[in-house]
Amino acid sequence: MNTPLCFWASTLMLFLLSSANAQTATSRIVSAANAFLSTLDEKQRLSVLFAFDDEEQRVRWSNFPISIVPRAGLPFKDMTPAQHSAAMNLLAAALSKRGLDKVQQIMEADEVLKTNEANGRGGGGPPPGRGDGFAGRKGDGPPEGGPPPGRGLGGNRGGRGPGGGLLFGKDLYYFSFLGKPSEKTIWTLQFGGHHLAVNVTIDGDRGILTPTLTGAQPALYTSNGKTVRPLGGESDKALAVLNALDEGQRKQAILNYRVPDLVLGPGKDGKTIQPEGLRASNMTGKQRDMLLEVISEWAGIVHESAAAARMTQLRADISDTWFAWSGAATAEPGRNITAYYRIQGPHLVIEYSPQQMGGDPGLHVHTMYRDPTNDYGRKPAAK
Amino acid sequence: MTVRLAAAILILSRAPAFAHRLDEYLQATLVEVEKHRVRAEVTLTPGVAVSEFVIHMIDTDADGAISTVEGQSYAARVLEDLTLTVDGRRLTLQVTSVQFPPLSEMREGRGEIQLDLAARSPRGGRDRKVVLVNHHQRRIAAYEVNCLLPRDPRVRIGAQKRNYSQSIYELDYQETDEPSGIPSGLIWLAPVALLLTARLVFVWRERPVRCVGAPNWTAR
Repeated sequence: MNTPLCFWASTLMLFLLSSANAQTATSRIVSAANAFLSTLDEKQRLSVLFAFDDEEQRVRWSNFPISIVPRAGLPFKDMTPAQHSAAMNLLAAALSKRGLDKVQQIMEADEVLKTNEANGRGGGGPPPGRGDGFAGRKGDGPPEGGPPPGRGLGGNRGGRGPGGGLLFGKDLYYFSFLGKPSEKTIWTLQFGGHHLAVNVTIDGDRGILTPTLTGAQPALYTSNGKTVRPLGGESDKALAVLNALDEGQRKQAILNYRVPDLVLGPGKDGKTIQPEGLRASNMTGKQRDMLLEVISEWAGIVHESAAAARMTQLRADISDTWFAWSGAATAEPGRNITAYYRIQGPHLVIEYSPQQMGGDPGLHVHTMYRDPTNDYGRKPAAK
Repeated sequence: MTVRLAAAILILSRAPAFAHRLDEYLQATLVEVEKHRVRAEVTLTPGVAVSEFVIHMIDTDADGAISTVEGQSYAARVLEDLTLTVDGRRLTLQVTSVQFPPLSEMREGRGEIQLDLAARSPRGGRDRKVVLVNHHQRRIAAYEVNCLLPRDPRVRIGAQKRNYSQSIYELDYQETDEPSGIPSGLIWLAPVALLLTARLVFVWRERPVRCVGAPNWTAR
């Protein structure tokens, strides 16, 4: 066999092997999605299926609780045990093991928040005891001292339903679909609620996770005697990158101004800002690898073959990827950083934003993961 | 007004643990520079604890709704607190669009007021500087300013500087007659690069190829 033929043969083999793996992942997700849909009655099915070009539903995601930003679709709380199980199987097919763990920990944090709120302890934020209809008490009466002038309780249930029930907890996460699950045509699985918005777009053998929002409150809690930090990797690995920089690099990476919130959070689709901070071309190979490890905390949420493809893309971009940090450059062991950071490349925006609302900002974190060139899989697939 | 603000914050600062923005008035601006124009998208999000104070500034007749006149009046008030200069010359910002959320959303800390502003920039040299200063409600403000990647290929973004609170923002940029990415002095290099590339392709096709990363079938 001559050498050009040999080259094409090996390329074809690699292509077929990778396609076979990707097809397996896609078919597994489609199969799980259809299995879930088959458990629903007609009304439920109608509530979860949206047209792929339904722009209103596409952007109906948020960091806010569902009482403040209502979601559409079907929540766990309205599912039978069989439906719940099928829904979890779908998530397990669409996400990696670590991604599923992270998502479950975020939901569990909301359950902790629900319990803390019911007990008047809050979620790691400001002191408890507030009573303006937001939190801390089971009643739904007016706050101590009454609401501020002109404020009506009706417009602000603040995490409570019409009957005064708390609207937090792991049952309040919604499933919906843009388009019908298919191995051939593009569709999106949307899953989310408070502090979580996962958008997994399946386009043939491609799996796209952007945009995805993760967050947690409390971002540190105990469960069965174990300390859980749903976003602990995002915090620790980024701090490790910062600590690995020399003085000159840190000077470039650390911004001299406060960043109070996500810049490209919900509602900022299609925007791309000028990158700032330290360009990874000015990092050592080891530092770049550490940065890729941080990135993998988001890129690795989706199922393994899609995550691998995404990491290949982001590794190729790494020299043109920027790392910027704003805030304290230290953290207590086992605690989250209180600083904001951003990682930005040609196909990537990651933001990590602790929320300044009294108390430890590291206990209430929002993060954003985007591909400015391909959010929702809008970039045409290469044919 | 100060007493009213202090009272509102005092009452609400015993915060709901889940609430997201409390006693700050987030003012996030995205600046976009074009060849003869500067645009600014300003998103104003009052936190729960300051929302009544902000609503009181906007809904001046306190009828629970924001009329067109009230909206325009508030936009003008924001504009008074903004200063935009290009190369040291103050520009007059015009409101191109203004949108207010329902008051209920503002009370929940998620209502975003959207102001789109634009100003024509005077002709100038190649190296230019935009300075945006925002003093709107500085006692409760949390400022954020960033520059959008330019859609105008004749604009190239340079350094950005800010003070700690981001109330003062400086942006250096360059305006050229050619699309950014190719410095004007090097435009003559394009045909040379094309010829070189063609030559390289020709040479590449002529050279013997070894199989890399695959079994060497010919060795058997």
